[in-house]
Amino acid sequence: MACQRNQDAANFVHNGKKIVGVALNYMCAVKARKVPTPTVPLVFLKPTSSYLREGCPIVLPKVFTKVAYEVELGVVIGSRCKNVTKEHAMEHVAGYCLALDLTAQCNLTAARATGGPWTLGKGFDTATPVSSFIPFDAVKDPHALPLWLKVNGELRQSGCTADLVFKVPDIISYVSKHMTLEENDLILTGTPHGSDVFKSGDVIECGLADLAKMKFNVCDE
Amino acid sequence: MYVSINRGGHGAQITFGLNKLSVDAMVRLYKTLLMACQRNQDAANFVHNGKKIVGVALNYMCAVKARKVPTPTVPLVFLKPTSSYLREGCPIVLPKVFTKVAYEVELGVVIGSRCKNVTKEHAMEHVAGYCLALDLTAQCNLTAARATGGPWTLGKGFDTATPVSSFIPFDAVKDPHALPLWLKVNGELRQSGCTADLVFKVPDIISYVSKHMTLEENDLILTGTPHGSDVFKSGDVIECGLADLAKMKFNVCDE
Repeated sequence: MACQRNQDAANFVHNGKKIVGVALNYMCAVKARKVPTPTVPLVFLKPTSSYLREGCPIVLPKVFTKVAYEVELGVVIGSRCKNVTKEHAMEHVAGYCLALDLTAQCNLTAARATGGPWTLGKGFDTATPVSSFIPFDAVKDPHALPLWLKVNGELRQSGCTADLVFKVPDIISYVSKHMTLEENDLILTGTPHGSDVFKSGDVIECGLADLAKMKFNVCDE
Repeated sequence: MYVSINRGGHGAQITFGLNKLSVDAMVRLYKTLLMACQRNQDAANFVHNGKKIVGVALNYMCAVKARKVPTPTVPLVFLKPTSSYLREGCPIVLPKVFTKVAYEVELGVVIGSRCKNVTKEHAMEHVAGYCLALDLTAQCNLTAARATGGPWTLGKGFDTATPVSSFIPFDAVKDPHALPLWLKVNGELRQSGCTADLVFKVPDIISYVSKHMTLEENDLILTGTPHGSDVFKSGDVIECGLADLAKMKFNVCDE
C-alpha cells in the first residue's frame, strides 16, 4: 500500500483535482508589508490547468503586465480527509514538492481593491511550476526547510519554513473544515518576503533544502 | 455500397455489395459515432472526471439592475473545487462555520474538448452539453472577503456547494440563450429568470476564460444567477428547474 500510495502521489500533477494556496503565510512577509498577522489562513484556489513541469517555459499571458514569482513548499495530500484535527493532519500527507505560485500582481491588486475574485491573477496557464514529487519519508521536518529563488543568478528570495505563520497541520486542518481534501490535491503553503515581478527572457531558479531544485525560462505568450 | 437486383424466373435476388471506398467510409462513420458516444459518455461523467468549476458572478441584467451596480465590462470569474459537487439523493449540508448560505440557480455548460484562446465564433464547438446547477454561496464569508479584498474560495468552495443535475447533451438544447430558470424554497417561487438575460453569453464566457486558462474536457462553467438569490436554512427543501430539460430537489441539513 505504501508503494502504491507513493506511485499515485507521484502523479499528483496529472491526477490532482485542486491546488489550494495560502496567502501571507510567512512572518518575514507579514513584517515587511507592515500588515496585521492573519488570524486564519487566507485560502485561495489555483486550477490544475496551471501546472507546469521543468522543461517547458513559464509563459507570461499577454493580458497581464506584472507577474511575480513566489517560491513555496508544496504539500501533496495522500488520502481523503475532512474535519481532520491538527494532531491527525500529517497522516494525510503523501509527500511534498517545490513550487512557484506565480501571481499576476496587476490583476490581484485590482481584484483586492474592488473585492473581486483572485482567480485569473492566480490561475493562468503555467502559473504553478512544480518539481517532482518528494516522498513523505524523505523529509525529516517540513518546518525546517530552507527555500530560495534566484532570477538570472541573483538571489531574490531566501527563507525557511520555520517562519510559516500557519504550519502544515494547521493549514490542512483549517482547509479540511471547509472542504474535503482529496488524494493528489496540492497545498501551496505561502512564500517568504522578496516576491517581485519578472519578465520574458529571465531565468528563474529555485530550491528546497537539498530535496529539489528547478529552473525555468520565461517567455511572453 | 451498391445494390443490384436480378429478376429471374422465380423471383428477384437482391445483392448488396461494398466496394473498398464504401468500407473505408463506413469505418470512418463507425469510428465517429463511437467517439461521439464516448464523448457523451465522458461528458456525462463530468462530475467524476472534471478538474475545475469556473463560475461567473453578477451575470444577469436583472441582478445588476436590482443591485444598482455598474454592469461588469468583463466576466467576473471565480473557481469552485470539484470536491463541492453534489448529486440529487444527498442533502445540501450547511457548514457549521457559516451563518448565511444562499441559493443561486444557474445554467451550467460542460466543456467537451480542450481549448485555449478560442474565439467567440468557435467557442460553442467546445461545448459537450449542459446541466442545471446551484452555485451555493456563504454570503457571510463572501461579504467579509469582498470588504477586505480577500479570496472568495471558502465562501464558494465548501462541500455540497455545487449541486448539479444529470448531463444534458448539446443537441438536446436548441438555444442555450432562451432557457427559463426557476427556483423554489418550500414550494414558494424565489428565483425566475431566463438565460436571454445573461450579460455575457456562453461563447463570450468561454472565449474570455480561455484567454487566461486552458479549458479542459469535463470542466464546468456556471454562467451566473438571476435576481432573487437569498439565504436558506436547515430543513428547507430547494427545488429548481431549467426549461423542460432538468429539475432537481434537495433537502438541507446542518453539518
